[in-house]
Order: sequence, then C-alpha cells, then structure tokens
Amino acid sequence: MTLETFAFLLASGLVLGGLYALMASGLAVVWTTLGVFNFAHGAMIALGAYIAWQVTQYTTGGAGFLLGAGVSVAIMFCLGFAMHYVLVKPFELHANLVLLAVITTLAAASIMENAILLSWGPRDKQIAPPFTGNIEFLGTAIGIHDFVILAIALAALLALALFLRRTTAGRALRAVAQNREAAELMGFNVSRLVAMTIGLSAATAALAGVFVGSLRFISPTVGTDPLMKSLIVVILGGVTRFTSPIYAAFIVGLAEAFSAYFLVLYWAPAVLFAMMIIVLLIKPEGLFGRRTRTL
Amino acid sequence: MSAPLLELRGLSGGYPPVSVFRGVDMTVGNNEAVGLFGPNGHGKTTLLKTVAGLIDPRDGDIFFAGERLNTEGKMRPRTSRHLNYDLFRRRRISAESVVRQGLIYVMQGNLLFPEMTVEEVLDIAPQAARGRGGAAQMRDLVDAVFPRLRERWHSKIRFLSGGERQMVSIAAGLLALPRLLILDEPTLGLSPKLRIELCEAIAKIRAENVPLIVVDQNVEFLTSLVDRLYLFDHGAITREIDGSAMPSHEEVMTMMFGEAH
Repeated sequence: MTLETFAFLLASGLVLGGLYALMASGLAVVWTTLGVFNFAHGAMIALGAYIAWQVTQYTTGGAGFLLGAGVSVAIMFCLGFAMHYVLVKPFELHANLVLLAVITTLAAASIMENAILLSWGPRDKQIAPPFTGNIEFLGTAIGIHDFVILAIALAALLALALFLRRTTAGRALRAVAQNREAAELMGFNVSRLVAMTIGLSAATAALAGVFVGSLRFISPTVGTDPLMKSLIVVILGGVTRFTSPIYAAFIVGLAEAFSAYFLVLYWAPAVLFAMMIIVLLIKPEGLFGRRTRTL
Repeated sequence: MSAPLLELRGLSGGYPPVSVFRGVDMTVGNNEAVGLFGPNGHGKTTLLKTVAGLIDPRDGDIFFAGERLNTEGKMRPRTSRHLNYDLFRRRRISAESVVRQGLIYVMQGNLLFPEMTVEEVLDIAPQAARGRGGAAQMRDLVDAVFPRLRERWHSKIRFLSGGERQMVSIAAGLLALPRLLILDEPTLGLSPKLRIELCEAIAKIRAENVPLIVVDQNVEFLTSLVDRLYLFDHGAITREIDGSAMPSHEEVMTMMFGEAH
C-alpha cells in the first residue's frame, strides 16, 4: 500500500468517523436518559437531509448550505421534542416501556420514511457540496468539503459536550439521566427535559443527515445504514461517558474504510459486526464503558 | 396558633393496589420543627414521598402555606384492564410544583447524581427557588454548616462517602430555599463520628429558623431538636407528643410497643 492510498483511506475513515460520532452520540444521549433505543434515528437523518436539500434549492453556495443545515437542525429539534410526548410519554408508566418504545419508534421511522417518499418522490437527491477544491494531504488530494464536514461535526460535538457539562440546563439534563427521582425532587420538569434530550438527539441526526446528503445521494432510506453503524458504535464503545461513543465512532469509521480497501466493500459490515462481537465477548460493557450507564 | 405551614388532613396513600398509610393528620407550624419516629417499614418514607409529590395520594388533602397541593377528591380506582389507563391518568400532585412552593424533601439514602461533581449538583439545586430572594444568605449557611463540602468541591458524587453524600443532599435542599425542609433519616448508615457531625449541622440549620420535619431512629437526637414529636406505627400516627413533655428513649419504646418490648 502506497502512502497516498493510506492517506486517502485515513482521510475517508476520519470523515466517516466524524459522521458516526455525530449520529452515535445522539443515540447514546437518548439511550442513557430514557433507557430506550431510538429506532427513528435513521429516519430523522433522512428527514434532516431532505429539509436541508429543500432549503438549498432556493439558495446557493456555502451560505445556502449552512442555512439549510441550520433550518434542518432547528426543525428536527422541534420534531424530536414533540416525539417524546407522542411516542414515549404515554407509555412511561407502563412496565414494558422498552418494548413499546421499540415499536413506537419503529412506527415513527416507517411513517417518516413514507412521508418523505410522498412529499419528495422516489428520485434520489443530492445536496450540492458547496466547498469545492482539494487540498494536499500526505501526497493525496482530499476534498476541502470532507475537512469542513469533519470540522463542523467535531465542533458540534464539542458544543454539545460543553452544553452538557458547563451550562445549568445541560447539567439538569444529565441529572435527569442519572437519577430521575432526585431530579424531580429538585423541581425540574422531567418530561420537558427528556423531550429536550430527544430534541437535541434529533438535531444531531439532522446535522449528520445534511453531511450524508452532501457526500452521497439522499433517498428515504438513507438513514438505515448509518443507524446500523451507530448502533455498532454505541455498543462497541459503551455509553459511560459522552466521549466513549466518539472514540468508538472513529475506530468504526477507520475500520470500515480500511476493510473496504483490503477486503471487499460488501464485507465491511461483517468486519464491523465481528469486531463488535469480539469486543463484547471480552468486555461486555463496551470498550470504554463501565457497567452503569450514565451521561 | 395561626394557620399552620403544612397541614395533612386524613391523608392516605401507598403504591396501588397496596395501601401503606391511612388517615394521617399532621401539622407543622411556622418556624416549627417536628419529629417523626417509628419502626422501619411502616410507611414513614412513603408518607413523606407523597407529601413531596412523588407518589399520588389516595385520599385526603395536603395544604402548604394555605394552598392545596393535591387535586381535590379521591383517587379513582383503575376501572379497565384493557385500556391504556396510564394515558388518561392525571397525576394528582406534582413534585415540580411542590418544590416550587418551597417544600423540599431530602430523600433517604439519596444516591443523587453519581457522575456529577459536588459543584455541579449545588449549581443546579437553586433552580427550584427561581425568583425567590435569600440565595446568597443560604449559600453562606451551607458553607458554614458543611465546610467539608468545599474540600470535595470537584469530586464526583460517586466517590463521596455516605455521610458526605448526605451533606450534599441537605446542602442542595437548603440551596432550594426551603420554606419547610423534610429530612428523611439523614443519619442512616453513618459512622458514629459522622453522625455527630451531621446532627450538629442539622442543629445549626434549625438555629437559623428553618422549619423542619425530621425522621430519625434516635429519640435523644429528635427530642433535643424538635418542638413536637409524632409517633408513627403501622401506617398511622399513633401519638402526638408536645415539646414540654419530651420522653426518653425507654418511654417512647413503651408507648409504641408496650411494657414488654
């Protein structure tokens, strides 16, 4: 393998890792707070991408791209917020909340995907990458767009982490995730905080969707594959800390890029699943996890 | 006596379908400290959790500072086995509004938020008291009463000892500017030394005229602290003892279990 190939694989692995980190932390935040896996996350990615695409139809260039991303993130935050009251809250007191939430989120995913199909039609779309041109990276030309995506993804994760650690509202969200009853006794509106958590998760999904949409083609089911990968990331990395899925995301992204080159593209998921199973056999709580889940 | 700060009238409750306490009448006056003493497992904590709004009361009323905290009337029994009853069920009391009123319950053996630091917990604690004055004063009181917390300022709750965790719980309760502070077995499971430290801290809090309800298993501590003592047995208040005639441990045991305890 030449240095150029290595640099190319490294760069695409890192970009993939950034995307997976964005999606997986959105999933992990909901998982730690509610104990529920949000299967609608993939459809949220797709919907986010379509909303941004619609905005870029009326605008041009980098500003249009960023505006599209912003609008998409804002709309998806509201949608995620509302989803809590429709999909989770009515079943909160039920003993089988986890199973019910699996079904309701799957239903939401199906509804969203079909709504996308109805409103935007089956033809694939692409968000035009606004940042054209290449830069030299270890002897290979890498698109500036890839770097911009990686940078925005990392910045968004940093912003989310700072929000959760430093602001009172973010600390309240973590409090709800760690001890719901004690959070109630502190006078927090727990339902609203949980809804906010899902909203934040949907917002990260939208951002990821915008990036996916500018790298690949958008179809109503564009989120299915990233959802699967983020699931692997969350399980592989564990969810003890906010950062654990992020490390795992880069491991998965790089593993995918390199296995696609050394094996065949179709084998990449198999490699990832094998990796996940081996890690789970040795360390059931995930690579960076402890037995308890907290935020 | 003027209108009491907290008044429970015929309060009954529990975890449906189990009834844990019934017909509890209890009052706490302004600037009064009240003790609650009784055997473990007889429903003291369930009663206090109901007052704090975590559990819906079944019947009876909770008045705090002249306002009713619960929805009027009785809890309706579950009528259908088939419908999603939870979908239509309205909570009869909400912890959020209870806390907003200034009725602060410090849970028994509170685990708090294991992954948060002392600083973070005490940062979010005053949220409940939004818009009420006296925050700076309360912070000074917390610093004076629990100097130990400053040393552990950046430790996660997970790494604190049981006593320190209890101190954080009480400090968080104080920062919420309580008009009435409920301490549920604050000295549970502590070493004798820490126990003394915590009892002194609670006495200091009492000296600042914070109205209290204290549950404890130590009669001497309770009688030295409170103005009135309620004996609680089998889910009901069995006796109310006035401050002028505080009994000893032996006398309380005799009252509760008879001569041959």
